[in-house]
Amino acid sequence: MARNLTFSIFRYNPQDPASTPHTDTFVLDETNHMTLFIALNRLREEQDPGLQFDFCCRAGICGACAMVVNGRPGLACHTKTKDLPDKITLMPLPFFTLVGDLSVDTGTWFRNMAKRVESWIHTEKEFNAEALEERMSNDVAEQIYELERCIECGCCVAACGSAILRPDFLGAAGLNRIARFLLDPRDQRTRREYFDVVGNDQGIFGCMGLLACEDVCPKHLPLQDQLGMLRWKMGWAGLMNLLPWKRK
Amino acid sequence: MSIDTAIYVQTPSRSSACLDWLQMLTGAGLILFMWMHMVLVASVIFGPGAMNTIAHFFESTYMAQVGGPLIGLVFLLHFVLAARKIPFRAEQQSRIWKHARMLAHRDTWLWLVQVVTAMLILIMGAIHMWVVLTDLPITAQKSAARIQGGFWMTFYLFLLPLVELHVGIGLYRIAVKWGFVGRDKRSKMKRFEYGITGIFIFIGLITLLRFYFLAV
Amino acid sequence: MQTFHTDLLCIGAGLAGERVAIEAAAAGFDVICLSLVPARRSHSSAAQGGMQAALGNCAMGEGDCPDVHFEDTVKGSDWGCDQEVARLFVDSAPVAMRQLAAWGVPWNRVVPGKSTYFKGGKLFEKEEKKDKEGLITARAFGGTAKWRTCYTSDGTGHTVLYTMDNRAVQLGVDVHDKTEVLSLIHDGENCLGAVARCLKTGALRAYLARATLIATGGFGRIYRESTNAVINDGGGLIIALDTGLVPLGNMEAVQFHPTGIVPTDILVTEGCRGDGGTLLDKDMHRFMPDYEPEKAELASRDVVSRWMTHHMRQGKGVPSPYGDHLWLDIRHLGAQHLATKLREVDEICKNFLGIDPLESPIPVRPTQHYSMGGVRTNKDGAAYGLKGLFSAGEAACWDMHGFNRLGGNSLAETVVAGMIVGAKMVEFLQGHQVSYPTNVVADAAKLQQERIQRLIARSDGSENVYMVRNAMFDALMQGAGIFRNGSDLQMCLDTLQEVHQRARQIGLRSNGLGANPELAMALRLPGMVRLALCVAYGALQRTESRGSHAREDYPERNDRDWLVRTLATWQPDSELPTLNYEPASQVWHIPPGERGYGGGKIISADSKKQ
Ligand SMILES: Cc1cc2nc3c(=O)[nH]c(=O)nc-3n(C[C@H](O)[C@H](O)[C@H](O)COP(=O)(O)OP(=O)(O)OC[C@H]3O[C@@H](n4cnc5c(N)ncnc54)[C@H](O)[C@@H]3O)c2cc1C
Ligand code: HEM
Ligand code: HEM
Ligand code: SF4
Ligand code: F3S
Ligand code: FES
Repeated sequence: MARNLTFSIFRYNPQDPASTPHTDTFVLDETNHMTLFIALNRLREEQDPGLQFDFCCRAGICGACAMVVNGRPGLACHTKTKDLPDKITLMPLPFFTLVGDLSVDTGTWFRNMAKRVESWIHTEKEFNAEALEERMSNDVAEQIYELERCIECGCCVAACGSAILRPDFLGAAGLNRIARFLLDPRDQRTRREYFDVVGNDQGIFGCMGLLACEDVCPKHLPLQDQLGMLRWKMGWAGLMNLLPWKRK
Repeated sequence: MSIDTAIYVQTPSRSSACLDWLQMLTGAGLILFMWMHMVLVASVIFGPGAMNTIAHFFESTYMAQVGGPLIGLVFLLHFVLAARKIPFRAEQQSRIWKHARMLAHRDTWLWLVQVVTAMLILIMGAIHMWVVLTDLPITAQKSAARIQGGFWMTFYLFLLPLVELHVGIGLYRIAVKWGFVGRDKRSKMKRFEYGITGIFIFIGLITLLRFYFLAV
Repeated sequence: MQTFHTDLLCIGAGLAGERVAIEAAAAGFDVICLSLVPARRSHSSAAQGGMQAALGNCAMGEGDCPDVHFEDTVKGSDWGCDQEVARLFVDSAPVAMRQLAAWGVPWNRVVPGKSTYFKGGKLFEKEEKKDKEGLITARAFGGTAKWRTCYTSDGTGHTVLYTMDNRAVQLGVDVHDKTEVLSLIHDGENCLGAVARCLKTGALRAYLARATLIATGGFGRIYRESTNAVINDGGGLIIALDTGLVPLGNMEAVQFHPTGIVPTDILVTEGCRGDGGTLLDKDMHRFMPDYEPEKAELASRDVVSRWMTHHMRQGKGVPSPYGDHLWLDIRHLGAQHLATKLREVDEICKNFLGIDPLESPIPVRPTQHYSMGGVRTNKDGAAYGLKGLFSAGEAACWDMHGFNRLGGNSLAETVVAGMIVGAKMVEFLQGHQVSYPTNVVADAAKLQQERIQRLIARSDGSENVYMVRNAMFDALMQGAGIFRNGSDLQMCLDTLQEVHQRARQIGLRSNGLGANPELAMALRLPGMVRLALCVAYGALQRTESRGSHAREDYPERNDRDWLVRTLATWQPDSELPTLNYEPASQVWHIPPGERGYGGGKIISADSKKQ
């Protein structure tokens, strides 16, 4: 214990004409149970009140605090300093628009993603306030929940080489979202409709199987399995589309 | 105005699915071919007779004369398909390298290995095929003579690991990309990939040595 | 300055804000939601346990109906709630849950057959009916007669908010995230919109709207130790209070949750106890049955938190560098249960404490958790004092919670209130026209612009914003915690007034350019201190104990004098809020009586008449 931690932090405030991208170094004494949430707030309060970063729930469930910690995208709030070496390098998530220092704009990207994958239940049914809810098996509900646990932190997208190369790529988070609706019996979209959304190079066929998404996802979503399933299903849908009588 | 409301315009191309199938199938086809190729070439370990018999079989059935150029075509097709994914522009190059260095992530590096080996294989494989296919029939003696010439020994010493790496990684990638291997089996698959790459390089080296010391 | 026009401005894109937005968008109105963070990061997403609705599908919820739910809610509130509103709420809650199911929430469902469950550390058996198979199931929560809390594992808030936001995207609701509202724009009679600061660029913007909704959630971050997200600093209440016209209701009613983990104050859900977890002291003795033989760990939150504090004061707490704590024990629930029903809890323990809840108990203590108080509204959600201003969710004092809100009732409130208030706002919008006098808008914007410039130029002083904030934390800890008394509260109030002075003399140490976080804190801190003053002053004046408001010097619930709701307004340039009172409820379906847990004496309302 009682280490002194050296933080190298990326600094740049695009709104300040005098600012240029550079790295600042801070030294901070480590305390028991210290997380990057505690450390960064102390840095802001004690050393540099202008330091920009995002936290919200500080409990690993909202996804606000994703940043690159010693080369790995992850959630700062649940990263304990005792698991890190003395020297800690913090960078903002790549891929997303920089707001300043460690803060990036994930909101815009994820909302666009929701629009692109039409992230809602597509159904003709009108809600009837008088009727009982439609039944669903608990197993299916749990399977959906498994995929619904994504917290839109953006780690998977920021870690993905495919996304770095083609900014219009939906990313594992977007593809996982589609997988979630594919599972959902309430969504009446046809295979063909799903195919039109993700059966292309912006979608599942843009994924090169790098699996960084799988390895960095802080919620441990089964991304590899979902991507595999999607490629398989959309692959077949693509072949079926070649057969005029199978199109639907 | 700072509210970014840009939405990416989607131009859905229906062909991506088919192209991805083709990329995978040509890759898989080439893997199968490389394995058969290994059987043919490595049979020399059991003596020139073994290799000659197999080579003769291929030629008498016209598999070498027709199959050879066909493989060449598949090879080219695979290249064209895979090229869709290769970052050719300098700016893309620098982005992906920077990314890989930052991330320090094994599978991302493996992909870069695949791209780099691919470019070299493209050139070296083409030369190799040209040389072999324009000098049919294949016999252990001719091969041994080539290799003992020195230049080809060095050539193969490079090409062999390049190919085996590309094949090993490609096999692993097909397995995980298409869901043949799930999350729970991934680390096993990866060990298998390393294993198979190692074994094939080993067999290849033995083969080359055998050629080198084969009395012509 | 950029100016946006819209029909409805929702300040807040949590569950309450988005639910109202959806109602209006579905009726064809233009809606803009503002939020400090992307909508899905709103604190609603952090709710784990679930939401109450009397569906009565599961075996342990059989025979449940809105009447029973109503009774639980009123008792839970310690008769502080508005019974008309509570009624409205319990009747609509089942519809709201079903609607959420239709929109895509993956509720856990009834699985027929025999299964076991824990209560108070003991194993019991129940049998789910075949004919209920696949309907929405429920779990037990504190202070409820039936198992009524609908859930998706322990990520209920997350799934419901994601579904809600999906629906909002579908209906084309605009969300401007990373935007912080600084003040309301009003002409003394009508609310006309709000002035906001963009947290990406630092630029000011004006939003002009025919109707405005405050749905900014709780204000737990005036406390140092809170389960709330760090963004829950009461921005919506501050802007309402700063009008000088709109009263905040029952600000002294602050809930402490029994199980915040030590040291990081992250909540582990009440579902832990609902599913059979127990509370242990330093001798590993299960103490709650000693105090509450009937309900034990599942008495209402105020009661459990008080007994825990009491027990620790008896020297039974576990000492730690971060102060005393107790243990929450869920080891006996088993790996399967943790993996499916309490996953987030499992992750929190592992990620933040480095312990496995299967192997060791969890260190917990009562922690600030919920604000019953808020922008006082009528049952339609319309705020008192300004036309065109509405409020819903935790930010509002719609008042179905009175002095203690039941677990699972607030998440349900956001959606149900959103539905009801949304419909009322649609009605309002259909018949309401306003004009936006340019000088009113310009003045409101100029005021904020000047504040910013003065802070950057340090014109008012050079107080360090973080030190001032810490002083506020200390003051509140001193007097406005779980147990309160006159002298501590007086001290707290005095200190807070000093802190308020200092908060007006803040000067920035950084340059304040762009999305500068120091500036953001400096802009909101004076308002936070005013909220703290409302809490402390209201608590000092209320000489009784009711629900979460526990006065050591006035331990009895005084229905004779205090069956009222505190209304706090802030006159311009004054040092303290002005407190007024109104009857707690207009109708009394259930007259004040015993809660059935918590003990304590009651001074009956009847004694007044004699
Ligand atoms: C850890 C935790 C667990 C909980 N678990 C449960 C549970 O199991 N069951 C239950 O019933 N209740 C639970 N609650 C309570 C419940 O989650 C909240 O009461 C409820 O979610 C509040 O929703 P809301 O829509 O009112 O506000 P929030 O979801 O908090 O949303 C507030 C919105 O306002 C925005 N905002 C705030 N200030 C400003 C500003 N100045 N300018 C612009 N925008 C602003 C925010 O960005 C956000 O979008 C829990 C609470 C906590 C803290
Ligand atoms: C013997 C020759 C070759 C074999 C056996 C082979 C095999 C494979 C295999 C199995 C894959 C995985 C396919 C997939 O992921 O869908 C692959 C991918 C790839 N191949 Fe080859 N290949 C060969 C030659 C080449 C050549 C000559 C090039 C081009 C210059 C090339 C470029 C690539 C690239 C870039 C990828 C990655 C594509 C992606 O990740 O999406 N390969 N190869
Ligand atoms: C149809 C086409 C091919 C034929 C007929 C063929 C034939 C041969 C023959 C006869 C040899 C023995 C050495 C020699 O004669 O020089 C050889 C070796 C080799 N070939 Fe090919 N080859 C073909 C395609 C390829 C391709 C596409 C690759 C990879 C890109 C490849 C990679 C190698 C390597 C690495 C060796 C060294 C052998 C070893 O060490 O195992 N060949 N090939
Ligand atoms: S899939 Fe995982 S990494 Fe990606 S956004 Fe969701 S939670 Fe984050
Ligand atoms: S990292 Fe990217 S390439 Fe595919 S497997 Fe994951 S999305
Ligand atoms: S702050 Fe919410 S996940 Fe880290």
